[in-house]
Amino acid sequence: MLFLAIKNLVQEKTRLLISVGGVAFSVLLIMSIQGLYQGWSNKIGEYIRTVPADYWITQTGATDMFHTPSVLPLTVRDFLTGVPGVASAKPFSGRRVAFAHNGKDINVYVIADDTEINVGAPARVVEGKAVPDKGEIIIDRVVGRSENIRIGDTIPVAGRTLKVAGYSEGGYILSFSFAFATKEDAESILQLPGATNFFLVTVKDSTDANEVASRIEADPAVDAITKDRFVENNTNIVRDTFLPIILVLLLIGIAVGMTVIGLTIFTSTIEKAREYGVLKAIGVSNRRLYTVVVEQAVTAAVLGYIVGADLALAVSAAAGTFVPEFITEIRWLDAAWIFAVTLAMAVVSSLLPVRRLARIDPAEVFRA
Amino acid sequence: MSVVSVEDVSKTFGAGHTAVTAVDHVSLSVDAGDIVLVMGPSGSGKTTLLSMIGTLMSPTTGRILISWQDTSTLGPAQLSRLRLKEFGFVFQTFNLLSALTAEENVMMPLVTAGVPRKEARAKARMALEQLQLGHRLRNLPRDLSGGEKQRVAIARSLANDPRLILADEPTANLDAKTGQDVTLLLCETACRENRAVIIVSHDQRLRTAAKRVITVEDGRLTAEEPGEHNLNCRMHPGTAPS
Repeated sequence: MLFLAIKNLVQEKTRLLISVGGVAFSVLLIMSIQGLYQGWSNKIGEYIRTVPADYWITQTGATDMFHTPSVLPLTVRDFLTGVPGVASAKPFSGRRVAFAHNGKDINVYVIADDTEINVGAPARVVEGKAVPDKGEIIIDRVVGRSENIRIGDTIPVAGRTLKVAGYSEGGYILSFSFAFATKEDAESILQLPGATNFFLVTVKDSTDANEVASRIEADPAVDAITKDRFVENNTNIVRDTFLPIILVLLLIGIAVGMTVIGLTIFTSTIEKAREYGVLKAIGVSNRRLYTVVVEQAVTAAVLGYIVGADLALAVSAAAGTFVPEFITEIRWLDAAWIFAVTLAMAVVSSLLPVRRLARIDPAEVFRA
Repeated sequence: MSVVSVEDVSKTFGAGHTAVTAVDHVSLSVDAGDIVLVMGPSGSGKTTLLSMIGTLMSPTTGRILISWQDTSTLGPAQLSRLRLKEFGFVFQTFNLLSALTAEENVMMPLVTAGVPRKEARAKARMALEQLQLGHRLRNLPRDLSGGEKQRVAIARSLANDPRLILADEPTANLDAKTGQDVTLLLCETACRENRAVIIVSHDQRLRTAAKRVITVEDGRLTAEEPGEHNLNCRMHPGTAPS
């Protein structure tokens, strides 16, 4: 009966366009939001993943780079290097700092780029200098483009004027981004005399990492957090902040899709009530007729999904070009569950038309 | 052999003071090859009787047997299957599916009955060609004249080789000549293939096709007389009676 469902759909082109458009809009909304969520989640962990460490050592109670402050005296390094199994322990300094530019506050997370110990370098430099000199700073390209800060421009950071020497990539995190200054400049900005924020610990090969972590945590002033856990703790910021909003928007998207398909298929069923009555009269079972209605809804939904998914990909690409903060990642897994949701939307929205169909009396067909 | 047996059937709508008896203790038997014209004034219960015979409505009392099977013992799904196999319907307003071509309309009961699409298409094509609609296979109902639509409806009603064809006012929406031509075509085709036909109509000219004429008044069967059947019922070569 699929051919009847398709013929019924195609017969009323305007209604088909409305159905497909409604679903497409819904899919576009859901996929874009999911893509943004995924993109931001990935971005926030992207830089941290590049930092060479088996463990991040934090002040006790600090779990990530953004929510909880961690300040550790540099003397902790001596303790760490003395722990059996520790290959290296390097200080990592950085914190969030705001600066004014063109009348707007811009937040950056300034990291000390210590070339002597190879800690704090940008993940990727895409333009300009890879290593800042004294009085220079490397900022994320997204911020450079969105705030119109060019290489060579100067920006005031915590009372110092720094010249933008390069653009890095992969360090944009929603409302702020990573920036990289020399160790000396960073110490001056961060005001951490004799202290640092974290230590990056690497464990010797053939050593039980968990055991090393236990030994480190014997010092009650510090916590040892695995790299993966530290990445997760940081990406959870996106989840905690945006998940409720995303869920609401997803529900709105689903409701829009269901309403549009439901209404268009319902009106089509009402208009074709007599024809469905004829089909009942000539011996088509109710079950088959329900299938026709569901097939109509599913066909419209699949077409809407194809259009919506294509639009989402196009919008992501285009918006990313014009709005650098629009960082999306549309995964196959997400495309698959959104497709499943779209099919579910179609089936659920068929229930009302199916109920109407069930009430059609085939004897009505004998009435002129 | 009796195709339909209506045994003391009544149909009452509503209850109490507002009850209306549309069909009142009607008994009737229709055999294979019969062409029965049911006549009577508007509101006499003709269409209600036809709906009950077509299993689209259940009697209040009495029973209807189709090929010796008591329809009151069948559930909705079994009744659907019975209609699909045993009945062909021709309606006053043609009732073709507007989204489907003439050919697809005729294919519909075949496909529903499980005939493979290719075979169904071939059968539909042949049926339409026999009714001189070979040039209209791909046309949608909106592009067909009233007579053509009714011929497509006839082809559809015959598609599954039903034993019984039920036609409700088949000439009502056609001009006089077309109406008569189309109905005679239906009767001739059915007669050649030994199918039973029950036609509900006001059209006196259809007496020439009918073998029996039944009059219904106030829900009761008041008269039965022989029709003026003068159709050519010779079989086409290779067409076997069902």
